[in-house]
Amino acid sequence: MSSPFTGTRHLVRLILRRDRWILPAWIVGLGGTITASALAVPSFYDTPEKVAGYAGAVGTSPVSHLMSGRQAGIDTLGGIVANEISQVAQLGICLMVMFLVVRHTRAEEESGRAELVRSTVVGRHAATLAALLYGVAAALVIGLVTTVSMLAVDLGLLGSVTYGAGLTLLGLCYVAITLVAVQVATSAREALGLAGAAIAVGYLVRGVGAMQDNALVWVSPFGWAQRMDAFGAEQWWPAVPVVLLTAALLGVAGWLTVHRDFAGGVLPARPGRPRASRFLGTPLGLTLRLQRGLLIGWAVGLTALGLLYGAVMPTIPDLVASNPDIAEVIGASPDVEQALTDAFLRYIFLFMAAASCGFVVTSVLRLRAEEESGRAELVLATGVRRTSWMAAAAVVAFAGVLLLTLLMGLGLAVGYAVGTGEWDRVVEHVGGQTSYLPGVLVVAALAVAVVGLWPRRSLLAWAVVAFVVVQVLLGETLRLPSWVDAVSPFSHLPEVPVEDFDPVPGLVELALAAGAVGWGLWAFRRRDVTTP
Amino acid sequence: MAAVELEGVVKTFGAVRALDGVDLTVEAGEVHGFLGPNGAGKSTAIRVLLGLLKADSGRATLLGGDPWGEAAELHRRIAYVPGDVALWPGLTGGEVIDVLARLRGGLDERRRAETIERFEFDPTKKCRTYSKGNRQKVALIAALASRAELYLLDEPTSGLDPLMEKEFQQAVLELKDEGATVLLSSHILAEAEALSDRISIIRAGQVVQSGSLAELRHLTRTTVIAETARSAAHLAEVDGVHHPRFVGARITFDVDSVHLDAAVQALAPLGVRSLSVHPPTLEELFLRQYGEEATA
Ligand SMILES: Nc1ncnc2c1ncn2[C@@H]1O[C@H](COP(=O)(O)OP(=O)(O)O)[C@@H](O)[C@H]1O
Ligand SMILES: [Mg+2]
Repeated sequence: MSSPFTGTRHLVRLILRRDRWILPAWIVGLGGTITASALAVPSFYDTPEKVAGYAGAVGTSPVSHLMSGRQAGIDTLGGIVANEISQVAQLGICLMVMFLVVRHTRAEEESGRAELVRSTVVGRHAATLAALLYGVAAALVIGLVTTVSMLAVDLGLLGSVTYGAGLTLLGLCYVAITLVAVQVATSAREALGLAGAAIAVGYLVRGVGAMQDNALVWVSPFGWAQRMDAFGAEQWWPAVPVVLLTAALLGVAGWLTVHRDFAGGVLPARPGRPRASRFLGTPLGLTLRLQRGLLIGWAVGLTALGLLYGAVMPTIPDLVASNPDIAEVIGASPDVEQALTDAFLRYIFLFMAAASCGFVVTSVLRLRAEEESGRAELVLATGVRRTSWMAAAAVVAFAGVLLLTLLMGLGLAVGYAVGTGEWDRVVEHVGGQTSYLPGVLVVAALAVAVVGLWPRRSLLAWAVVAFVVVQVLLGETLRLPSWVDAVSPFSHLPEVPVEDFDPVPGLVELALAAGAVGWGLWAFRRRDVTTP
Repeated sequence: MAAVELEGVVKTFGAVRALDGVDLTVEAGEVHGFLGPNGAGKSTAIRVLLGLLKADSGRATLLGGDPWGEAAELHRRIAYVPGDVALWPGLTGGEVIDVLARLRGGLDERRRAETIERFEFDPTKKCRTYSKGNRQKVALIAALASRAELYLLDEPTSGLDPLMEKEFQQAVLELKDEGATVLLSSHILAEAEALSDRISIIRAGQVVQSGSLAELRHLTRTTVIAETARSAAHLAEVDGVHHPRFVGARITFDVDSVHLDAAVQALAPLGVRSLSVHPPTLEELFLRQYGEEATA
């Protein structure tokens, strides 16, 4: 008997075998970060005064609401822990399931391996089901790890379980969203773009809703998961919309699977140009063309992020005025408003700079994809020098992130102007965002060095991004030892606008970045080109 | 001057000795067949010649230069078609042809148009929609559309249908007429036989035979399997027939290609009930040439 699901078990086994390193890396990396935070936080809030202080300061902070939502029970230790980890945990679990699911569906089809598998006895929906089971299992493990680490510091059974369940449900929902994206897109990269955009939208909508304290939070899966109110009222009914949406999305994904060609998208491919444009005759032109979509996607996403953050910025003084608690904690004066706005802006700059690290590493690691596919071989067998080929990719990554940085700053300024009608912040915002650029360039340069020196360890470049993100988002929560902070390129840059701008650290980092790029180029000239 | 020279080239990948002291000479102006079963080291040898891989030891010379040190300069004078062609899914076939030819240093518009026509290729489709054969056509057209002194073709026909293979062979012969050198790797003896002036056979990382087709004539025997009504015992005496084996009414023998006619004439009066004739596969050749050693 063969059903549409025949062979699922076989495929799941195949997935587990192929991911015997990647899955543990996610679980250790993400689960470990969550656990470390959960274990570290309680020791900082060991008196009722400190807990109350947190509730007064962080619990009313618009930055915190925007980034982590409104956590229930913020005046309890459980609520504090949940609030501290939720940004990394929620974004992390969504990104994890997105990468895992695309990797075993669309990317697999593109590699041609799936065709081989499908020519054996495998049902039509088996691949989708296998990816679903795998994604859900991964989300479940992260949820479990979270619950267990919360129990380990005695945060209460019901709260810990509710929080872990909410996290898992959020992951489940994004597994289904990714499965739909996979069917709609014409390539794995496009699928990642669509699913990534869905994560960003869900996260931002919840953030704005929480910041303005309105019904927007109910539009986002992030909001539903959070409104299960772990460590507060603990209500489970918000799980219902999550499950319903998931079921509906899975139905759509299943329907699309039947109604599209294997390895094709839902949208039909149009005929293209028979001739290449003049720009395509150089390594730089080719690289730019190949990364055009990536750059446009990131530009749209990060500009939107900047606009949004810029637009909510002017509401900060109102939020302060309407909340006597804040005034009580920090003291009320125009200076306080300014200090809060500066702190907000500094965090936004840093957050967006960390986000743009995702672009540079994706961009630089395209080099590895080119090598592994055999396309690099095709190009390097022409008159193109190895150094030109690699330098072209570095130039696109560096220039691309410069453009993104300017767009993020402009987005902030324009968003701010839309809210206030004041157009006088352009220089401040663009300049401020740019002051964090050297840190991003260091990350990009390290990726280039990794490609040259340790081509088979290119995941190291992502480890650098993970480290930077953890340092930026959780550095204060974890109270990392100072030498760990010292390793992060961002901790050496002046905290504009809280501190005054100082060009020296940035210039030093630029020099380091140049050195790392040079090292990578040097190493690449001396090693074998990876061939398929 | 030889266009290609490998002397004692060794290349290892961890424990795998992909090239184990390869000697290979391709004279300028010849079509050289580079024959070997899968995994013999053909692609590795070609990649060393392209300077994509660095040989552990030995000497490689390409058009008189050092392929590792002067790769980019030398590449302007050569064209390469890999065995398994991967392309950019978002570019069209036409775009890729232009890009590769321009990066090589020049595009001959007339040749481009001719070759696209010849291979009945649609250059407006995105590469993600092309089959293996069509991807191979892209690389072939890009190689043929820019004039080169030396063409390195790594199993270039493995995805082409028979009609296109014929066009390919015609194109190679035209390159030869223009005075270009061609190194053509293949694991199919018949293909190399049809085009090559000289052949080198590589096996387990070593070149085991090298010479003109006439010198390797013993390699181009045809295998005949026939079932006859009357005894075929006297076929053993026919000129050019080797290794006759009899099992019941069936005879199996190898025959030099030039004597195939005589052998078939001798079979005809015996009442042929079934007949199959095929060129030996490389694996059969190796079994014959090297006995057990080849299978070990
Ligand atoms: N990058 C590589 N890493 C490890 N082993 C390789 C690599 N490339 C080739 N090999 C091995 O080297 C041998 C020769 O391969 P190859 O040159 O591709 O053979 P051919 O082209 O004749 O089929 C094979 O055993 C193959 O598995
Ligand atoms: Mg090969």
